[in-house]
Amino acid sequence: MEDLIEITVTVNGRAVHERVPARMHAADFLRGQLGLTGTHVGCEQGVCGMCTVLLDGEAVKSCLLLAPQLDGHEVATVESLAPDEGLAPLQQAFKEAHALQCGFCTPGFLMTATALARSGRTLSRDDIREELTGVLCRCTGYENIVTAVDRHINGEHVDV
Amino acid sequence: MKPAPLQYVRPASVAEAVDALEEHGGMARVLAGGQSLVPMLGMRLMRPSALVDINDLGAELGKIDGRGEETVIGALVRYSALETSPVIAERLPLLQEVVRHIGDRQVRNRGTIGGAVAQSDPTGEMPLVCLTLGARVVARSVRGERTIPIEEFFEGSYANALEPEELLVGLRFPLAPVHCRFFERGRKHNDFALLSIAVAGSPDADGRWSGVRIGLGGVNDTPVLAEAAAARLEGRTWDTATIAEAAELALEAADPPDDVRASAEYRNHLLPIQLRRVLTDLAGAEPWKT
Ligand SMILES: Cc1cc2nc3c(=O)[nH]c(=O)nc-3n(C[C@H](O)[C@H](O)[C@H](O)COP(=O)(O)OP(=O)(O)OC[C@H]3O[C@@H](n4cnc5c(N)ncnc54)[C@H](O)[C@@H]3O)c2cc1C
Ligand code: FES
Ligand code: FES
Repeated sequence: MEDLIEITVTVNGRAVHERVPARMHAADFLRGQLGLTGTHVGCEQGVCGMCTVLLDGEAVKSCLLLAPQLDGHEVATVESLAPDEGLAPLQQAFKEAHALQCGFCTPGFLMTATALARSGRTLSRDDIREELTGVLCRCTGYENIVTAVDRHINGEHVDV
Repeated sequence: MKPAPLQYVRPASVAEAVDALEEHGGMARVLAGGQSLVPMLGMRLMRPSALVDINDLGAELGKIDGRGEETVIGALVRYSALETSPVIAERLPLLQEVVRHIGDRQVRNRGTIGGAVAQSDPTGEMPLVCLTLGARVVARSVRGERTIPIEEFFEGSYANALEPEELLVGLRFPLAPVHCRFFERGRKHNDFALLSIAVAGSPDADGRWSGVRIGLGGVNDTPVLAEAAAARLEGRTWDTATIAEAAELALEAADPPDDVRASAEYRNHLLPIQLRRVLTDLAGAEPWKT
């Protein structure tokens, strides 16, 4: 029988205590053990960015983190964004800019952009494009995603 | 894509970490940023008995320190910290420029300089810069600490002089030359390089260069110094003919692989052309005349 490790981790503001196998990655933990299936899994090797979450406020790929590493840390997933009613401003910006088609990549972009927006950096459209390269989208061609994030961070009419 | 069963150890100090590595008799691996190790575990390219997670050791391994002429970077310093550090901007600007070519935001938020050097990817940017800038690798085990000159560190593709029970604790950089350039060609932006070139040197008032080092990535089993090319440039002014000769001499250090990213022939074709451009650019800056 595989040893289980006890962890205490704050997920979307709520403290959870769980027992996890050492080899379980954090994306499987969030989806399988906590039922937070908004975090998607594509490649499980750090390339696609579908599994991006915030670890202590920074965008990271949760398939490259092991669940026991979360002990004592804070994780935010896409489920943390929307208020009880309606959408968060960033999500609304995605909707208005048609920044998703199938939507599989959307949680990865939303979490990457959430960290970016909170960084307080001044960002040109090119900077935003660069900061989003860790998430792949096979549908949109990226333009509308960059537009959504640009409008969210810089406002509707700012053309940097 | 799931790792084989393993033990997870999370030491609270460097002393505990090296004890844990010793205890597992070389069968444990250090877990730093996990940006290379976790994929390798998933693909079962590696089946360590335990992981020694050093991410709690920021107080001991997470500092960037300018001491006199030397700059010391702890093994756990992440790429993202190097990107924004004013100490790195002032003392090792080449290193800061190069970080931007590595991976993406998420990778840079986790990946560490120690992990990159320990990974010893022959196309890795960080190993190349450490080699070009003449860093020294500091490693610790229960038997004590030793310092390995970077020229003796890389031993082959993904292979280096670290013992399995050793923890890389940091890198010590000497004063960097005044002028540095970095070039890289990859299949796509932020991908692993198929050719990378780093050049460092200092011109004097007459435009004669000293301390010339030329590092090449992606053209051999390890990053390599193009010694013959550097010797051709040392102590001289760089006119067009000298630069062209040096660029051809760089091929002596190259024995490139044929792989999914590019053929050996293509890499050999690129090297002298790109090196000539980098050198011309450096010479053309003519900063010693201003
Ligand atoms: C999508 C993606 C893109 C990438 N692009 C690039 C790129 O463009 N260029 C590039 O160079 N790299 C790239 N990488 C790899 C990245 O740079 C890795 O972060 C780096 O190679 C390893 O650093 P790490 O801290 O993550 O180490 P880990 O993955 O934790 O460890 C790597 C290896 O080093 C050992 N190790 C780690 N730290 C120590 C230590 N202190 N002492 C002893 N052994 C240690 C581990 O046991 C393991 O064998 C990419 C990775 C991903 C996922
Ligand atoms: S599932 Fe994590 S990066 Fe693809
Ligand atoms: S909307 Fe389908 S992958 Fe991005």
